[in-house]
Amino acid sequence: MDYTIVVALEMVRAVAWLVLLASGLAIIFGMMRIINFAHGEFLMLGGYTVVISTGHGVNEWIAMLVLAPIVVGIFGVLVERLVIQRLYGRILDSLLATWGLSMLMIGGVTMIFGNSVTGVATPLGGMSIGAYQVPRYNFVLIFAAIALLLAIWAVLKFTKAGLIARATMQNPDMSEALGIPTRWVYMATFGIGSAITGFAGALLAPLTGVVPTMGVNFIAQSFITVITGGASVITGTLSAATLLGSISQGMTFLTGPVYGDAALLLAALVLLRLLPQGITGRIFKKSL
Amino acid sequence: MEKPVTRDPGFYVMVAIGLAVMFIAPVMLDLFTIMQITQYVVLSVFALSLGYIWGFGGILSFGQAAFFGLGAYTFAVASINMGSTTIPMVLAFVIPTLFGAALGYFMFYGRLSDVYLGVVTLVVALIFWKLINHTAGPEYSIGSARLGGFNGIPSIPTLHVPGDPSAWLDPGQMFQVFMGFLLVIYVALRFLIASDFGRVSISIRENETRSSLLGYDVRKHKVIVFAIGGGIAGIAGAMWATYQAFIDPNSVSMEMSAKALVWVMAGGVGTLVGPIIGCILLQWLTLQLGTVDVVNSIAVLGAIMMVLVLALPKGIVPTARSLLLGGYILWKRNQGQAISGKVVKE
Amino acid sequence: MTTEHILTTRGLTMRFGGVTAVDNVDFNLRDGELRCLLGPNGAGKSTFFKCLTGQLTPTEGKITFAGQDVTGALTHQIVNLGVGIKTQVPNVFDGISAYENVRLSARRKHLAPMARELTHTTLERCGITHLAKREVGLLSHGQRQLVELAMVLAGEPKLILLDEPAAGMTGDERDRLAQLVLESARSAAVVVVEHDMAFIRQIAKFVTVFNRGAIFREAMIDDIMQDREVQEIYLGKQANVAAA
Repeated sequence: MDYTIVVALEMVRAVAWLVLLASGLAIIFGMMRIINFAHGEFLMLGGYTVVISTGHGVNEWIAMLVLAPIVVGIFGVLVERLVIQRLYGRILDSLLATWGLSMLMIGGVTMIFGNSVTGVATPLGGMSIGAYQVPRYNFVLIFAAIALLLAIWAVLKFTKAGLIARATMQNPDMSEALGIPTRWVYMATFGIGSAITGFAGALLAPLTGVVPTMGVNFIAQSFITVITGGASVITGTLSAATLLGSISQGMTFLTGPVYGDAALLLAALVLLRLLPQGITGRIFKKSL
Repeated sequence: MEKPVTRDPGFYVMVAIGLAVMFIAPVMLDLFTIMQITQYVVLSVFALSLGYIWGFGGILSFGQAAFFGLGAYTFAVASINMGSTTIPMVLAFVIPTLFGAALGYFMFYGRLSDVYLGVVTLVVALIFWKLINHTAGPEYSIGSARLGGFNGIPSIPTLHVPGDPSAWLDPGQMFQVFMGFLLVIYVALRFLIASDFGRVSISIRENETRSSLLGYDVRKHKVIVFAIGGGIAGIAGAMWATYQAFIDPNSVSMEMSAKALVWVMAGGVGTLVGPIIGCILLQWLTLQLGTVDVVNSIAVLGAIMMVLVLALPKGIVPTARSLLLGGYILWKRNQGQAISGKVVKE
Repeated sequence: MTTEHILTTRGLTMRFGGVTAVDNVDFNLRDGELRCLLGPNGAGKSTFFKCLTGQLTPTEGKITFAGQDVTGALTHQIVNLGVGIKTQVPNVFDGISAYENVRLSARRKHLAPMARELTHTTLERCGITHLAKREVGLLSHGQRQLVELAMVLAGEPKLILLDEPAAGMTGDERDRLAQLVLESARSAAVVVVEHDMAFIRQIAKFVTVFNRGAIFREAMIDDIMQDREVQEIYLGKQANVAAA
């Protein structure tokens, strides 16, 4: 019984994990149809923000919940202004450019901080379920994922900015024609997507430690979740995260973590063969 | 562009340069330099694999290193087990080709868009890299070859004369054989591109809808192009493995895929010489920068990639070509107004 | 359904979200027939063509070509059964020469020497031999239309679909086009979508009028020209503007 609860909890945590990793990326993809290949390094930047600010005596929760999103969000806006906006309409070029940015960031951060892992203490400690010890931090992750999705949903559904965003997602040309300044929308989108990614990076810093090359461990999961999800931010991310999270976590339980990612990829490939536009390209078409 | 290969003077010039390097370099240069430039030859083959599928099939693979690594590991495992290098070299072509066909089937028959294609190829290489990295334990062996995880596979046999495993090639001979490989692959690709199959690939790159409206099966074509590219990258990987006598997961890394992309971008998409030139130039540059400790080589690679996308999207060779062509037209115009008037009328 | 029909559709329907672009169309075309499709912009003619060539999979209905059910078949499969289409926006290979464009089509069914021959004669027929070596992306709209037409003809189709072939053409080019269409109709069935009335009059006998995705009228050209309701759907817009 206890074991079942622990396994179920692990499954939910895996799903929450993917939601956190992919949401920022999904917003950018949903609105602009591009994948930010430097996504992993945006996560890394969020992690370093926590390391540096806590090192200067800032409270770790403030560092994670406030500083990391702000720093990475501003960085995202800068990247959009300096790089991405020059490449609108050249989707593949924007992928190449962000990949270049990714390597530049890895190299740059390595030059500054060196190529070693900096640990961050996991807040809250553990609790026991029967004979099993479970980190309380897992609940923070699950809660953060739920809160994040609810927040995105509320913004898209109830605010003017959300309406503009939905219009741009549906039909960029028409929105432009209606006088929506799509260029500003894209800049804001990239900024918000980056901020969410920074938030995710900050949350995972205590779990993995922080190192310049950490991004590479997460981008496979993030990218797969976003493209299997398709263009709808919430439904897409949630459905893909649920499906892929359970598959990879199930595989991890069966064979160990090595094959979890491979199973994720295989599942995604089969799914994309059947639904080339992602899950929300065919099913749940009109969802957010 | 539709001139037969045999009537293109540029083709003969390239082949002549290749043959000259192949036979003169070992005589003129010392052993160390020969071994250095052998590296460029191997990586040029890798650059060609991506240059072909991207430039002549319109397929942008972000994970070309997956095939490079697959070829390298196939060669390593097979040659250690067999004690010979001839059949492993063939396998290093066949297995990546088959893998490319299988992956291509999922991607092209699913009609994935460009972005999806980019992500899937990248992720495939990434996961391959992760898997290989996790094979450090002794339980991960194929026959007598231990995969070695992040430690890599050491003592990979040197290439030998087919049929005689004791007749190892010395570095000079190895260089010549590899130059031979590069030339054969270059010539084969030139003919392939000029063939009917190649023309259809180019038409697909130009306009996929029209190609299918002419009755061509775009999906099948792309799978074949992608698989051929994979096979060539596999050969390059095998060459790399036997040249270094060692292979590790770095051969499958994202950095390796990125390098191939940067070479092709720098040299120019849509040419075969371009990727080779880009490869040699940038590898040489990396080597020079490697002596400077402060600068991180990955940061440099990233910076070059961004600059290429933002400032020189066409690449060196096409840019030079259009500059030359522009100059030629200006020169011709100055030759006589009468001729140019006629041209305009037509 | 009689066997002499080369193309029939039954209840063909294409919906995009809430919009029905093609609405329950029953269309019959005899082998070797020349048919004109008329209808205002947005009447569903181009969507109809896209359904016929497998570029769109119809929401409902059935398409039969040369006795075979081709509903839901892939574009290249349908084309290989003998359908050639010139799309509304010239759909050509911009980066390569006109000759190479046409040869790609000719080579589909023929070996290289025969394909070369066929390419030359087709370019000649379309009066664009002088453009053979030019890069198609650099040609005028009308010339690109002719190149695309040559590509269609070089595929030797049994059914030719032409979507606004005369658009952007000069008077001379248009006359040649009319000649070509009439000539082609001797060896294949032809369906032409066109707004240019002068052109229609040069070629048309039997006409189908589309309106709001459905077949509105099918009659001989002279009757259509006299038809008040047809005039209304064409002129409706202007009439409304005038009334307002």
